[in-house]
Amino acid sequence: MTDIAIAAQGLGRRFGRRGRRALDRCEFVLPAGRVCALVGPNGAGKSTLLSLAAGLLRPSEGRVTVLGTTPAGARERLAYVAQDKPLHPHLTVAATLRLGRELNPGRWDESVARRIVTDADLDMDAKIRTLSGGQRTQVALALALAKRPELLLLDEPMADLDPLARHRITGLLMADAAEHGTTIVMSSHVVAELEGSCDHLLLLGAGRVRLAGPLDDLLAAHRLVTGPAQDSLDPHTVVESRTTGRQLTALIRPAGPVPASWQTAEPTLEELVLGHLRGPDAPALSLTESEEAAA
Amino acid sequence: MTAIPVTSVRTPGRLPRPRGLLWAVLRLHRAALVVWGLALLAAASFLFRLAALADEAERGDSACAEPATDGLPSCTAVDAITADETYSTGIAFVTACTAWLIVPVAAWAGGALIGRELENGTAHLAWTQSVTPARWLAAKLAVPAALLTLGTTGLVLLNVWARGADNPNLVGDWYHPDVFVGTGPTAVAHALAGLALGALAGMLLGRALPAAGAALGAALLLYNALDRYREFLWPTVTRDTTGWEAPRSAFQVAADGSELAFHPRSHFWPIQYVESGILLTVAALAVLAAFRILRRRTA
Repeated sequence: MTDIAIAAQGLGRRFGRRGRRALDRCEFVLPAGRVCALVGPNGAGKSTLLSLAAGLLRPSEGRVTVLGTTPAGARERLAYVAQDKPLHPHLTVAATLRLGRELNPGRWDESVARRIVTDADLDMDAKIRTLSGGQRTQVALALALAKRPELLLLDEPMADLDPLARHRITGLLMADAAEHGTTIVMSSHVVAELEGSCDHLLLLGAGRVRLAGPLDDLLAAHRLVTGPAQDSLDPHTVVESRTTGRQLTALIRPAGPVPASWQTAEPTLEELVLGHLRGPDAPALSLTESEEAAA
Repeated sequence: MTAIPVTSVRTPGRLPRPRGLLWAVLRLHRAALVVWGLALLAAASFLFRLAALADEAERGDSACAEPATDGLPSCTAVDAITADETYSTGIAFVTACTAWLIVPVAAWAGGALIGRELENGTAHLAWTQSVTPARWLAAKLAVPAALLTLGTTGLVLLNVWARGADNPNLVGDWYHPDVFVGTGPTAVAHALAGLALGALAGMLLGRALPAAGAALGAALLLYNALDRYREFLWPTVTRDTTGWEAPRSAFQVAADGSELAFHPRSHFWPIQYVESGILLTVAALAVLAAFRILRRRTA
């Protein structure tokens, strides 16, 4: 076991020779054992980043190290669920699980797969094409979790789950992470569904890393302040600010004590993310474990 | 008898079952496997029936006299025999099907085998199990290649056997395009080239329908190019035709005055080998290219 799950160095990927850069000089380190929320607006490069980490794409620039080796070298130890949850429509649920068993010799844990499928109330003999989107997602997750991965890459895993299934799957993922120390990276643009289950944040915007680090540290590094509009926010870094009447509300990274006349509060994950999405020009901030230890 | 038959030693239900990628390829393409099996079964039983007709067909093709004289049968009697027609149409049909196998195989390989998997992302599903993309593609090619080689070889051997005395009036001349391709090792090479071209089209285009179409086009092109240039695959024999009439078995290529360039029947095998060599080279290049594309795409 290495203690770093994913490390990206100058990671870039462009589609087509002169195409748009889906990822651009990404730098971050994700320690092992974390549950990481990968957030960002549509087209920020979340899916591209997950595909690169899963070894399904080759980087155009830079490199990505997964579990101490290349993504291809870590293939057996990582699992990936793509956004559209691809499965063979003409196979039954049972045959799909058999496929997982045959293609993961020595790793496959049938009981895990069975439990997820039974909990979802799925008929083992049902063809995949007859299942709903949410049911397919659960089969795809069963396939991923039964592989007993050290790193689980999930692209929009909750998007088409009903609230009950979402709750159950979240519980399942958290239990897996707690029990086996599985590192989980979950992308989503619905921030609320990640709150409470993640302890690490990676915020992408226009292909660049905007925020990276332990969630608590990132939240602690920001303040949501409210005060009179005429006051200056110097020398603090302003991520985003809005004026309503004579009142100013801003998300800042304090560079020192904030004046007592200002109301301050620690932002929630949603406020932190929304602030950065509304203020795309705010400088990037990366916090690592060592800084956390030093602090 | 001291030797025990092997089958009695094996306990029932203990037959080796396909595992891993082999199982996956067989299971995912079960429909194609069933179609191939049924087609072979139908062709084989048809050939057996035709072979049983061979002797009667020969009688229906014989010379006749009206009224029957000099040991020749009566023409009315010969005309009454319909077996020769049934036999020759049947043989021609099976032979044509064998010869044109490259076309459906290419379309299937481009569409269902590779293109569809890349299009709907199930290829990614396989590559994020404990299977490398290269092994995935290798299995996807090796399993159908083995089954195609086995089936086509059997089909060709049965066909050659069912042709009996090889009477060109009944089964066609050896240099007829369908007959040439359908009765030798080229048939197998054609099918394998179709598989490889399909795989390349699938990897290149990554979508089922365009890949199937492109593979079909490439297969037709290859088939027709070989058909057009087959006569140049081996040096012809040239002979002066004054006082000599070329036999029917001569594959006539060019005539210049009284000089006739042709392939005698003995050229069947050399041309078969050269054509198979070309097809297998095309197949090898296509497979190589397909692996290259795969390597460039994935980590």
